[in-house]
Amino acid sequence: MPVERFIIRGDLAAATFLPWVARHLLRLGLRGETQRSDALCVEMLVEGPADLIDAMEMGVSLGPIEAWVETIERLPLNRCGSA
Amino acid sequence: MTDPIRDEWYPVALVSQLGPEGRDTRLLGEPVRVAWHGGAITVTSGGRSLPSQQRYGHVWACPGTPQRPLFDIPEADQPGRRLVDVGLVRVKCSPLRAVENFLDIAHFPFVHTDILGAEPHTEVGRYDVAIREEVDEVWATKVHFYQPQAAKSAAGGITTEYMYRVPAPTVSILYKTCPPRPGEWDVITLFVQPLDEELCEVWPWMALFDDDTPMTDLIHFQQTIFLQDRSILENQLPHRLPLDPGLEIPTRADLTSVAYRRWLKRRGYTYGAQLVAA
Amino acid sequence: MLPYWTPVALSRDLAPLVVMPVVVDGAELALWRSASGRIAAWADRCPHRGMRLSHGFVRGEALSCIYHGWSYAQSGQCQRIPAHPDLEPPEAIRVPVHRAMESGGVIWVALAEPAALPPALAGLVPLRSVTLDAPFDPAAAGLAESGGAWRGTLAGVAVAVLVQPLPENRCVLHVLADGAATPAALVDASRGVETLRRQAEEALA
Repeated sequence: MPVERFIIRGDLAAATFLPWVARHLLRLGLRGETQRSDALCVEMLVEGPADLIDAMEMGVSLGPIEAWVETIERLPLNRCGSA
Repeated sequence: MTDPIRDEWYPVALVSQLGPEGRDTRLLGEPVRVAWHGGAITVTSGGRSLPSQQRYGHVWACPGTPQRPLFDIPEADQPGRRLVDVGLVRVKCSPLRAVENFLDIAHFPFVHTDILGAEPHTEVGRYDVAIREEVDEVWATKVHFYQPQAAKSAAGGITTEYMYRVPAPTVSILYKTCPPRPGEWDVITLFVQPLDEELCEVWPWMALFDDDTPMTDLIHFQQTIFLQDRSILENQLPHRLPLDPGLEIPTRADLTSVAYRRWLKRRGYTYGAQLVAA
Repeated sequence: MLPYWTPVALSRDLAPLVVMPVVVDGAELALWRSASGRIAAWADRCPHRGMRLSHGFVRGEALSCIYHGWSYAQSGQCQRIPAHPDLEPPEAIRVPVHRAMESGGVIWVALAEPAALPPALAGLVPLRSVTLDAPFDPAAAGLAESGGAWRGTLAGVAVAVLVQPLPENRCVLHVLADGAATPAALVDASRGVETLRRQAEEALA
């Protein structure tokens, strides 16, 4: 199954952002894990079929109304997790 | 303080169909009157005269203070095009939903069956979407879709290429392959007049290279398409356009919709939008 | 959510390959019957972009949304996304499914596990369903509660009336009649249902 690192940048300070992202992962049946987060940047791994990883990007780029996602950088990883 | 909603231009009438009696209508929930005064058209609301202009066959008005000129459609002045005033369709939906639906191709095989799409040709390939910062517009390009009858002038099935452009929150312009004139684009627009947050009047307008099809057939074709869309638009939940997709599942095929919603969110254009998923 | 079965339609009014909107305890549902005759009652909202599934279409054992053709199996699970034909939709993408059953020629839906079965309707045949733009007053119609249904006579025919409440004080009456009644008597009883509706709506006006 493909794995990608999402580097999400924007105004992400809202407390609703990370729970929203976690919920959307579940809604798409994807596996994922947040590796780093602050008010301006969230890094996470997302694992699942390519079309659903695309769908995750679609959903998160809108996200909850309190947050503003400026960009999502996607880095495909191999199964060992290295770039 | 400027209000991004009140400071936009909105269509309020077709010039060619505005009779001596004028037109009483609504804009953003307020009564508006469009009328002839001498040889000129005026738009008033509550005794106040609104900035107005005539362009693309329609009368445009701004309830607030215009912050920029009306968007440009250069093709409107290109020689050889037929300009088609389609008329109005009233839809019980958010004005933003009407625009979003116009940006969508994945519904063609199911809503416009055997006209704009047909199974099994349902796949939506990758296309490009960008917000062009220099003009502050949403653009989708390199959109391809197989169509059984792409236009009134099309004889059989072809793969049509599309470009979509959103130059204002309630306006969408579609450029599509022009069967009789390779290299040119037919222009089909959707001008949406927001009556209130869940009711709108939709004014399609076209600038086509088609010298043969009778005008009534061109109008009828576009009205048929839009009446099919109306059955969708009046039955989506929630009625307002969600800017939080927490109860939806957008996929890559919805990229234009997502970009449009992001653009509305960033501009603070929330009239007809739903801010929290419900 | 209330733990009882709500009558939503007469079985014969939902043919195979048909989907219709129904309301149960204020919840809007899409009720449909597959090619093989199985019924299902789902939330009336496609998870993709919110289109009402009651406007969708049934093929075989699946219901598809009319907007983008996303199709869902009996379990509610999405099985196909036409814009992405190579994608096998994950189990997570599914429509909320409610309990639905057929009994006595009536389709019943429950939003929570009901404590009891629907009422027994032995000896009765489905007559018709009618929507009232008014509340229903069984006493005014000369009916009395017995075994989970309002029973009495309409135009001389024994009937059972099942009430499906709708929002804004409206309701649907699903009426069953004595299976031994003659066709002519059933026509009279059917007219009696219409009279009942008119009286209820006039009483409100």
